[in-house]
Amino acid sequence: MTALLEVEGLSKNFGGLQVSSDISMMLNAGDRCALIGPNGAGKTTFVNLVTGVIPPSAGTIRLDGRDVTTLSAAERVRLGLIRSFQVARLFKSMTVREHLELAVLQRDRRTFRLFANVAKVAGLADEVAGLLDSMGLTPVAHTAVGSLAYGQQRLLEIALALAMKPKVLILDEPAAGVPHSESQRILDAIDRLPKDLAVLMIEHDMDLVFRFARTIVVLAQGRLLCSGTAKEIVADPRVREVYLGSRADAH
Amino acid sequence: MTSVAERDGKGDGKAGRMTGRTPLAARRDLGWIGIPLVAAVGLAAFWLLPDDLALLTRIAASALFVLSLDLVLGYGGIATLGQAAMFGTGAYAAGIVAVNWNNDPFIMLAAGGLAGGLIALTTGALILHARGLTLLMLTIAVGQIVQEVANKARDWTGGSDGLSGIDPAPVLGMFRFDMYGRTSYLFALAVLVVGLLVARRIVRSPFGLACRGVSEDPLRISAIGGSPKSYLVVLYGVAGVFAGMAGALTAVTSGIVGLDSAGFPWSAEALVMLVLGGTGRLYGAVIGTAAFMGIHHILAASDPFHWMGFIGLFLIGIVLFLPGGIASGVERLGGLLRGPSQNNGEDRA
Repeated sequence: MTALLEVEGLSKNFGGLQVSSDISMMLNAGDRCALIGPNGAGKTTFVNLVTGVIPPSAGTIRLDGRDVTTLSAAERVRLGLIRSFQVARLFKSMTVREHLELAVLQRDRRTFRLFANVAKVAGLADEVAGLLDSMGLTPVAHTAVGSLAYGQQRLLEIALALAMKPKVLILDEPAAGVPHSESQRILDAIDRLPKDLAVLMIEHDMDLVFRFARTIVVLAQGRLLCSGTAKEIVADPRVREVYLGSRADAH
Repeated sequence: MTSVAERDGKGDGKAGRMTGRTPLAARRDLGWIGIPLVAAVGLAAFWLLPDDLALLTRIAASALFVLSLDLVLGYGGIATLGQAAMFGTGAYAAGIVAVNWNNDPFIMLAAGGLAGGLIALTTGALILHARGLTLLMLTIAVGQIVQEVANKARDWTGGSDGLSGIDPAPVLGMFRFDMYGRTSYLFALAVLVVGLLVARRIVRSPFGLACRGVSEDPLRISAIGGSPKSYLVVLYGVAGVFAGMAGALTAVTSGIVGLDSAGFPWSAEALVMLVLGGTGRLYGAVIGTAAFMGIHHILAASDPFHWMGFIGLFLIGIVLFLPGGIASGVERLGGLLRGPSQNNGEDRA
């Protein structure tokens, strides 16, 4: 079986500053992997490189066996590499339902229909209803996103990503900004993601990481420090040194 | 979390059931009443103001032009001061076709729409990578170029003398353009209403939804796999067809096309009318045009030297007290009459 996402020797310099160096990792179908690391470890840069927001200085990225290193962000999205944003990035005046309609229509490339009625596009209403239901958003389907609770906006971010039928889903701090007591709902939603999906989560909250991830990748100073199962990572003295040690004291 | 969700859920579920549609969509175009209302008021004006048909005809044709601007600005977020480039191109195309080849009013409209759409597509593809002020400057530049080309091509356009001698054939071979302007007005009103219907169709289409997304956050559109620029170029082209038809409609009903039809002041005036009426609503374009040109007509007769000052005061008042334009005031009034549940997600501005 080929890996769904395969990153090899990925590097990025901004001038003389090396923010990512020689990172390699792979994700298979069904993987639940967390990417952790202290502030400034290069997690966001890594996500931007993989999703095509910025071009890498060296290295290759393969999606489902296909080299996508030179493709644009939108092209990678069309091939099934989807991300959610750290800060919910939504269309404030659109309703929850309209967001999902737009995502599904865009995925099926039906957005250049100038004279079709959105309400009458075949199969759209059913699919959107299913997505709303899967994230518990049905009661707020007709609410403009601007007046939605933040936790629900995060859920919509995930629903939006799912609407695009991803193969690989990158969740950038899906519970950021959501009170700790409410992050359980986000985690429940993530638990219900399709089983064959490869999910990579970037997260600071170690409780969330240990509940979600079966494997963990640790970045430090732009390098891959180590990777392994949650147990191995906790036991690794290097990780304790750069990350967990200081965090554990802070708790 | 659950308590929040339940509270939100209950409130909005109720609103949804009561209206049977999304509050946002209802707010955007007054549901189904907006366009029939325009037709009804337009016809009523035909009987009530038989001496002002020339003005009413200008209002109808201009409203179609402002409607094209609403598509671009209200639904695509494209800041433009060059929409008259498409209007003028359409007007000249219709006039040239009428003078040289065929004076059927529908052929003239088609020629105007085609020319306006083509010029919008080509210039749009060249300038729509820019945003904000840069784009504003580029749209002004396109308008100036079109005007200058029309000025230099004297043989075709009549240059600064204008293109005259446009004498459209009877509509459908039956209704002559009479000297009282009855046919002109009814023709213009009919074209405006059809334009509104088509525009509403486009706004509610998957394409319209995507354009609203682009206007709010183009990068988010890329992140779901779309190309913001291609939406904007197609939208600009579609609006160009509307603007070109509005120009052609003016050529049909007035029989003359001048250089000012592609000029900067006409673009700016259209923007004022749209802001006055309310952007992103379609019928706001009609209200704004009627209000602006109506007030202009009344004031210019009673105080020809200071009418612009009054328009300015009126505009300041609207921007201060009704930021969403006259249409938002109408909607707020309607919301109050129908009950508080209608006021969800107000004030998009």
